[in-house]
This record gives sequence, C-alpha cells and structure tokens, in this order.
Amino acid sequence: MHEHIQQRIQSIIQNVDQLPSLPDVVSRIINMVNDPNVSFKQVAEEIAKDQAITANILKLCNSAYFSKGKEISSIDRAIVILGLKEVKDIVVLATTKSVLNRVILGYDLARGELWKHGVAVAMLAKKIANDCNQKTVADIAFTGGIIHDVGKTVLALFVQSTFKDILSTVTEKNITFQEAEKLIMGFDHQQIGQQVTIKWKFPKVLQSIVRYHHEPTNAPDEHKKIVSIVHIANTLCLMAGIGIGSDGLYHELNQDAVTMLGLQDAQLEKFYSDIPELMNKARDIL
Amino acid sequence: MDNLINIGVAQLAVAENPAVLRTILGSCVGICIFERNKKIGGLAHILLPKNPGDSNPEKYADTAIPILVQQLLKKGCKKEFMSAKIAGGASMFKFKSTTTLANIGENNIEATRQALAKFGIPIVAEDIGGSAGRVIDFFLDDGRLKVKASGQEKMYYKV
Repeated sequence: MHEHIQQRIQSIIQNVDQLPSLPDVVSRIINMVNDPNVSFKQVAEEIAKDQAITANILKLCNSAYFSKGKEISSIDRAIVILGLKEVKDIVVLATTKSVLNRVILGYDLARGELWKHGVAVAMLAKKIANDCNQKTVADIAFTGGIIHDVGKTVLALFVQSTFKDILSTVTEKNITFQEAEKLIMGFDHQQIGQQVTIKWKFPKVLQSIVRYHHEPTNAPDEHKKIVSIVHIANTLCLMAGIGIGSDGLYHELNQDAVTMLGLQDAQLEKFYSDIPELMNKARDIL
Repeated sequence: MDNLINIGVAQLAVAENPAVLRTILGSCVGICIFERNKKIGGLAHILLPKNPGDSNPEKYADTAIPILVQQLLKKGCKKEFMSAKIAGGASMFKFKSTTTLANIGENNIEATRQALAKFGIPIVAEDIGGSAGRVIDFFLDDGRLKVKASGQEKMYYKV
C-alpha cells in the first residue's frame, strides 16, 4: 500500500472541487425525467436555457444512432419524436464528453479512447437491456454506460506512478486489476467514480452502476440487474478492444450477472459480435 | 505520425511505405502481412474465428484474411515475398463461466493460423494470449511491428 497516495486521493475526495464538474442542468434533467409530475414542456424549457448545450443536443438528435429519419430542429420536436428518456440520454452525451474525451495517462488511453469506450458500453448495455426484458430501464443502462469509468479520469495520475506494483499484485495474488488498485492505492476507480456521481447529484441507481460495474453481485439488490447489464456490456467491449488500456482484460466476467439476466452462451456471443455494427452507427457521435 | 492509419474493430486496410497501420486489440487478433519486395502491407483486425454467413466478412479470421491477401495481390504483391505477424487473442483474466466466449482469444488465434496456412504465408512473429490489451503499430518502411502492452513496448523486426 502506498499510503501517501491514499492520502492524496482521500484529500481529492474530500475537496470535491478537484473532481470533474458537470453543468447542473444535467442532474435536473435526469431527475425531471423520473418525475411523473413533470411535463414535456418543462423539460424542454430547462434544456433550452442553455444555448450551447441545445445546439449540441440537436446535432446528436440528428445523428445516425438516434435519428428516426425526420430532421429535428427544436428540443420540443426532439422530445415528441425521440421521447423524454432518449433526450435525457442525449443531454448526458452532450455534456459528459468534455470530461471523458481526454488522454488518460496511467491507463494508457489515447485521447478519445475512454469516450469511445463509454459510448460503446452505453449502446451495448441499452441493447442488452432491450433484449433481456429490461426495456423500461434501457435508458438508465445507456447513461450508466457512458459514465461508468469516470473514476479513471481522476485516478489515472496515481495509476501511472504505481502501475508496476498494481500489475505485479494482480499476478502474485491472482486478483483483478481493480482489486489490486484498491490494495495498492487504497481506492479503486469505481469508488472515485461514485464520488464523482455524488458530486453531480446523480440518482442512486447511476451511482450503483459506477460503483459496482466490476462487482455486480455486491450492488444493492434493487440495482443488481441494471449493474449486471452494464458489467456485461463493459466486459464485451473490452474484449473487443474498445477502450482497452493498460489494465487490459485483467478483469472478470461475473457468472452470477450472466445467470441473473438469463443469458445463454449464444446470446453473449451475439452481443459481442454486434459491436462493430454498433460502432459504425456511432461514428457521428464520437 | 502523419502517416498513421487507425484501423477499427472488424476493419482491414492495405497501404504502402511509409504508412503506419495501428489498431487496438483485446481478444481480437491483428494480422499484419508485409510484402518485403514492394514494401506494401495490410492489417486485418478480426473479432471472431469463423464466419457463420454474416454479411460483414472483415469480422472473421476465415473470411477477412482471404480479402486481405487478395487486396495485396491486386497491388502487385507476390505471395512468396509475404510474411505475417500476429498479435492479440487475449482472454479475460477471470471467467467462471464455461461459455465459448472464454476461449474466443484462443479460437481467433487458431483460425488465424489456419487461414494463413491455406495461403502458405509464414507467421514470422507473434505476440499473443495472456490478458493484456495491445496497441500495435505496423510500420511499412521495413515491416516491423511495435506492440505496446501493460505499459511496455516490444519491437518485432523479422519479415
């Protein structure tokens, strides 16, 4: 254990200013979408307050992945055509890019790789949710997929200076990279990520996805399924090399997560096999 | 690098000196074929071993490699001057399951070997297996392959 590093991470968590920021509008939109008393109109007005975000959102609405064929030129139309949940996902996409689209040093991710990984996991998690009778939460799987690795943006610097120790701990103790992160630095990227989502005032379910995406069985019972979906999407995207870094495949595919969703071998392989087509659709989002 | 060409999952590309072909691999395999006389090379990034009849042949070792070789031949390359280097085929570190997905890295490597053998193209270097992700750079000025894995770089010069 590197105690000075643990202390430095501890101080970052306590002094939240050092964690990445997101405009307040994002948590407001996420919470409004879950509130049955909020109207379409109120959501549209909330988004429209921010001109810069609005332009970006409209561009995303008309991208190959989201477009339903009709040109969308206003937030009102976007909500009517795509629905509230989809527009919420687009708001998250539009606002988190600047946080995630960075060089991630210690994990050896070039600029854009972590962002691409988040988008890939988001799309695949949504697909898995839709195919596993979890349609109503497919949008949450998407949002969770985008941000699941946000902790890496904070932890990267410390991983860079302890990488050799982390990797040797992986092989010596036969544990996963994320378990070794915790052993060497006192924290893993999931825990830091959860702190970021708390700062962002994201709902509990998104906090759980970020906190437990490598260990879905430890998630609170009410979130186990959705965390399992993102866990599987994350594993498959890493296997396909999308946003794979210095931590490689030193992770685990949790069998309980597979069982919980009732997924068969052939289905898992199909999801993996679908990744190139998903990435093609996402070209103008990245 | 100005001459850098990034190749995504289930894509392939052929280029000539002084281009550099780059791809990032997990369980996928990167097949780098170099024609030493013309200094033309190609890289295929395959995701799965065998094509079950999919419309995207570049995804599978058994259909991508013939396309790659054909494209090289079209550029005037000769099979007798071709050699291959392969990288990737990693597996998840922990996989309780007995699913076929657990062996996909190994199966990809095996199918790659078979497809290259069919054309009589020798594999002169390989950096495969384990659980590391790999960033590979294939330099067409001399056919060398740089593999970055777990924070370390290795160079393979043999062509």
